[in-house]
Formats: sequence, structure tokens, C-alpha cells
Amino acid sequence: MSTIEVFEPAMCCSTGVCGPDVPQELVDFSADFDWVRGQGRDIARFNLASEPAAFVTRPPVLQILEVSGSAALPVVLVDGVVAMAGRYPTREELSHWVGAVPEPAGRAPLAMAAAASSCCGGAGCC
Amino acid sequence: MEPSFLTGLPRYLFLTGKGGVGKTSVACASAIALARRGRSVLLVSTDPASNVGQVFGVGIGNTITPIGAVPGLAALEINPEQAAEAYRERIVGPVRGLLPAAEVHLIEEQLSGACTTEIASFNEFTGLLTGEESAAGFDHVIFDTAPTGHTIRLLQLPGSWTDFLNEGKGDASCLGPLAGLERQRSVYAEAVAALGDPERTRLVLVTRPQRAAVEEIERTHAELAALGLREQYVVVNAVMPRPDDGDELATAVYRREQSVLGDLPAVLRPLPTDVLDLKGENMVGVDALGSLFEAGDMAALPGEDAMSSRPVGIPAGADTLAGLVDQLAVQEHGLIMVMGKGGVGKTTIAAAIAVALAERGLPVHLTTTDPAAHLSETLAGTVANLEVSRIDPRVETERYRQSVLRVKGASLDDVGRASLEEDLRSPCTEEIAVFQAFSKVVNEGKRRFVVIDTAPTGHTLLLLDATGSYHRDVVRQMGESGRFITPMMRLQDRDHTKVILATLAEATPVLEAEELQADLRRAGIEPWAWVINNSVAATTTSNPLLRRRAGNELGEIARVLAAESERCAVVPLLTREPVGIAALRALAAPGPVPAPA
Repeated sequence: MSTIEVFEPAMCCSTGVCGPDVPQELVDFSADFDWVRGQGRDIARFNLASEPAAFVTRPPVLQILEVSGSAALPVVLVDGVVAMAGRYPTREELSHWVGAVPEPAGRAPLAMAAAASSCCGGAGCC
Repeated sequence: MEPSFLTGLPRYLFLTGKGGVGKTSVACASAIALARRGRSVLLVSTDPASNVGQVFGVGIGNTITPIGAVPGLAALEINPEQAAEAYRERIVGPVRGLLPAAEVHLIEEQLSGACTTEIASFNEFTGLLTGEESAAGFDHVIFDTAPTGHTIRLLQLPGSWTDFLNEGKGDASCLGPLAGLERQRSVYAEAVAALGDPERTRLVLVTRPQRAAVEEIERTHAELAALGLREQYVVVNAVMPRPDDGDELATAVYRREQSVLGDLPAVLRPLPTDVLDLKGENMVGVDALGSLFEAGDMAALPGEDAMSSRPVGIPAGADTLAGLVDQLAVQEHGLIMVMGKGGVGKTTIAAAIAVALAERGLPVHLTTTDPAAHLSETLAGTVANLEVSRIDPRVETERYRQSVLRVKGASLDDVGRASLEEDLRSPCTEEIAVFQAFSKVVNEGKRRFVVIDTAPTGHTLLLLDATGSYHRDVVRQMGESGRFITPMMRLQDRDHTKVILATLAEATPVLEAEELQADLRRAGIEPWAWVINNSVAATTTSNPLLRRRAGNELGEIARVLAAESERCAVVPLLTREPVGIAALRALAAPGPVPAPA
């Protein structure tokens, strides 16, 4: 069984709920991560702010950080090989790597994400 | 006379209550009493504004320091900021030089938030509570804890963290920085067990004979009892003894306090209760603290006659509240934030300023971010031009949760939604939600007066910290050249925002206000004025005990006038509580404050 490791930018919390805005991609990835783990697969995520040592001990991740900085994060390692960088994987991609049966009804068909709330919420900062 | 809460005392003693009720005095006096009984005592302060060192006249800091004047007593101050710094260094230290410098800086910035501070303080605290390490060998450990909101969070964390670790969800919410602490799990479990065990832990709810302070411990009692801390005692501190001289103010204060004591909430009545008399002296130094549990002394000091012939009323060089309102009214709009520790009368001062401005025909919005707000009770009526509202943390947090779930959670399945809901239960969510509501009123000051009766200090600073992080995030996203105005920039703009620091003419509240002022200055915010509330020196009382208190006040007032404030108003202690529009109007009425008849 493959091992997936996801190396994320420095954040206070895994869904971004602690920040001034909640990034949709983080919310989605957190749900997908839980789903993969719920399938009994081997997946782990590392936050640069809380576990920087994990970044230092994976040479491919350290090299990317040295060249591009944390703007290149997240980085996904599958069995130690860089499988993706710069964005979060989708549930389909995660399923493919771990050989899981893809989830047919992973998302509600009519997403209303276009109405995303602004971080400024009428505060007039933007 | 020994108070009942020190009888049959278990190893751990926690003191909690609204800021300014005298937790530190009671903690220090308890420590002295136990040490004099031959017990070895460790006194621990977890208050971000700890002044245990000041009380004993020695520097303490984050190492256990023997108090020379009291054999058997040692003290320790857990400074949350220092603890956070040490915690940050444990994470960042090993990778410094290995990761690019810019990334190390980013990590440090992320670990500068409220979560890290909470977690770091908690780590210090559990070690002591489980009797490991440095606390071994002490018969008693007394915790002079931070004001209530902070205390509750601190105490709630062991419970939720144990659940969190049990579920093995090593990646939820703000507890992110906890990853890798699995090995400390038994320490947390032990901390929870110790807190709930009456054989080991006793909780003392400290209050003053004032309604707001009593309501505060009523809430704390319920919340902590629900968490399993059922071994609770009550201490009512600084109660005016029965005056025998017919002085109007002394009699009014005595009656007001006795009616509060006679009408304690039903849930508090079964708890063992100690009543401590008001003392003429400030509770600083071993001698004064050693007398805290003794009966009050109503006698005048030698030479008191000379004192009572001194001029009384507003001290020279000080302004009146009406004087401040005159200066505020010139601009016809702006944000006025009344800040200070709990219990100094922020709500009263904010309401009096709002009423005075509104009655000059100026549009005013009076609002509060204080979870324990009692604005409507204070006003007890309506005034033309005055809108009153409240930023309720619970309501704002729920609104924010629902909004995130609706918008960001729209595309998730049930499991995903459950996971997001779990994250939204993190302590940070409330800070963010309150901050968003707060940002709206910050900008309203462009059009009219907005008077904010802010939450107690620790809370307020967290709020400002959120404002600061937000500012940095916007700058990062928009670039330095972008045209935008963040709430932080509004708070730093003295034309827009005027911060008024409220305090009392006592050593500890003045010290706390000075620390708050220093914190604000670090955030680039310069306070506009100070208000010294409930001053006995500004009254014409002839009661000997109150005159002694007035004498003690003069030094503090002089210090604020000379060094701390650009402008400073002194508000006298009143015979009637300033509740209702008429009483608030009188507080900031033009002309000299009427002396009690």
C-alpha cells in the first residue's frame, strides 16, 4: 500500500478557519484527507508551522523549499517521490495513488461556492 | 482569624474571579498564612499581567524564586508571552539554518498567535499540576490564575485535549501545534484528574460586593462545576465594615454592599463563604498582606485631622469626565474605545460618554464586545441620537460558523461537513468571528460617534492581535502599494480612534493600565486619555477608613497625572450606583461634579 505525505504551508489550523478567510481548497482537502484515512489508507499531513523537522528530513521537499520557498507548497510525496506540488490533490488523485475505489458521490452536484464570503465582510478594507 | 477556605486545604488551590477583585492579594495572603503555619508553599501566577513580584518587592519571573521575607514561601510567574517564545524556539530552533530564512520567519509569524500562547502556558501549567518536576516538595501550590475567561479556557483545555488525543485526530483545528505531544498524553490525563479531585484541588471564587463581580463568579461556578471542579469556596473581598460616624458616602457604600451580600445568587449560597473587610492600606508588602484576613480597622490614623482639612474634590491638574466629552465633541464623529481591566467601570464610563455626546445632539452608537456586558441595565432607558447594540461573542461565533458551513461547506459530503464543523469548534473561531463584527463598527466612526465598551484586557488584546494578523495578511495579498485601509490602520489613526484607559486609583489597577498602555503602544496605538474611576479622593467624605483610602489614592493619581497620561479625568465614587440615564448624565455633566450633600 502506498504512503501519501502532504507538506503544507505554515498555518495555524488545517482548514484555515483560524485565518481571516477560509480557503475553499483547504476545506475540501481536509474532507478528502479524512475520507482517505477513513478508508484505512496510509496518509499524513505536515504543517510547516508545527512540524518543520519533517520538511528538513525529506530531501525532495527541502530542495523545493530552497529553490521556490513555501510558495511552492503544498508538496505531495507518494512513497517518497514528488507526485504533485503547488496545489492540493483532488479526491480522485488521492484514490488513484492509494488504489482506493473512487468515491462516486463525493461532492454534492450543485456547489454554490461562487457566493464565497469576502474576508472583508463589508469592512471596506478591499 | 483563619478563613474557612484555608481549613483542611488540599495540595492545590486555584483562585479565580473578575480582574481587580483582589485575587493576587488573597493568593499572597493565603501563601503567607500557610507558610507561617510551617507549610512549604509555591505561589504560581499565570496572569499575563502578574504583579506577584511587585507585591513582595522582589523580581520573580519564570523561575521558582524564594521569598526571603517569608520563610517556606517561593513564587513563580508563568508569563504567557515568554512561555510562547520558549515553545516557538523548541519548534523552530532545530530547523534554523536548515530551512531558508524566509520560511523560518513565516513559521515564527504563524506561531505568534493566541493558540500558541494558550498551548505554551498550558504546557507550563500541567507540569506543576501533576506534581512533576519543580513543584515536587511543596506542601501546597497556589495558582493566582488569570481573569475568568482565560482561566476557563485554560482549565477546559485538558478535557478537550484528552478527547482529542484519544480520537487520534492529530490534525484538527488550532491544536495543530500540539502534533507530536502524544507522549505527554498521560500528563494531560493526570492534570484533568487532579483538577476534578476534591482531595487534591480546591477552587476559590474571589469577588467584591458588587453586582457585576458576583455575576461573574456565578457564571464561573456553573462552568467549572460542569467541568468537574465541584470543590468550590467563595471569598468576598474588600467589604466596607459598618460605619459608625453617619458619613453619607460610607453609609451608602455599606448599604449597597450589604444588599449585594444579602442577595447572593441561589447557586452560590450553599458554598462556604468568607467575607474579608476593606482595609485602609493597599495590599502591598508582607505586613499589609499578613493582615488581610483580620477585621477591618475603622479608626483614623494619627494626624488624620490634618488630612480631613485638606481640600477635597477633583485633584488639581485632573480633568472631569465632562471636560473630556467637550474635547471629544469637537470632531463630531469618531471611534471611542474605553479599555481597561474588568471591574474598573468601563461600561459606566462608556455609557456616560455616549449619553453626554448624544445629549449634545451628536449621533452616537454605543456598543460592547464584553461577553459579560450589562449595557442595557446600566442605561435603563433611551436617549435621542443614541443607538445601543452589543457584539455577543456567542451569537457572532454561531453566525460565522453557519456562514462558513453554508458557503465553504456547500460542496462537501456529510463526513466532510462533520469534519469542518469539528474544526469550527476551535477556540480561534470565536476570536475571528468577534473580530469581523468589531471591524464593522470600527469603520462606522467615519460617520458618527461609536463608543465601544471593550472586553476585559486579555480578550481585547487577542482581538487586536487578530486585527494585526489580518492587516499583515491584507498587506501580503495586496502588496505594499495597494490602496486599502484595514481596521488596524483605523485604530492607529488618532483622528479616527481615541482610546480611553479606565482604571482605579489603586496600585494594581494603575499598574495593569500601564501595561495595557505599553501593549497598545507596541501595536502602534497611543491612548488619548485616562479615566480614574470611583475615586474616594475626589469625594468630600469624612469617614476615617475612606479618608485613609483617599490618602493612598493621591500617590496613584499623581503618578498617572505626571507620567502616564496626556489627559486624565477623575470620577468620584458616588453615593448611588450610576445606573439610569439621569445618573449617567450627572457623571459627565458640564461644570464641577456636584459634591455629595
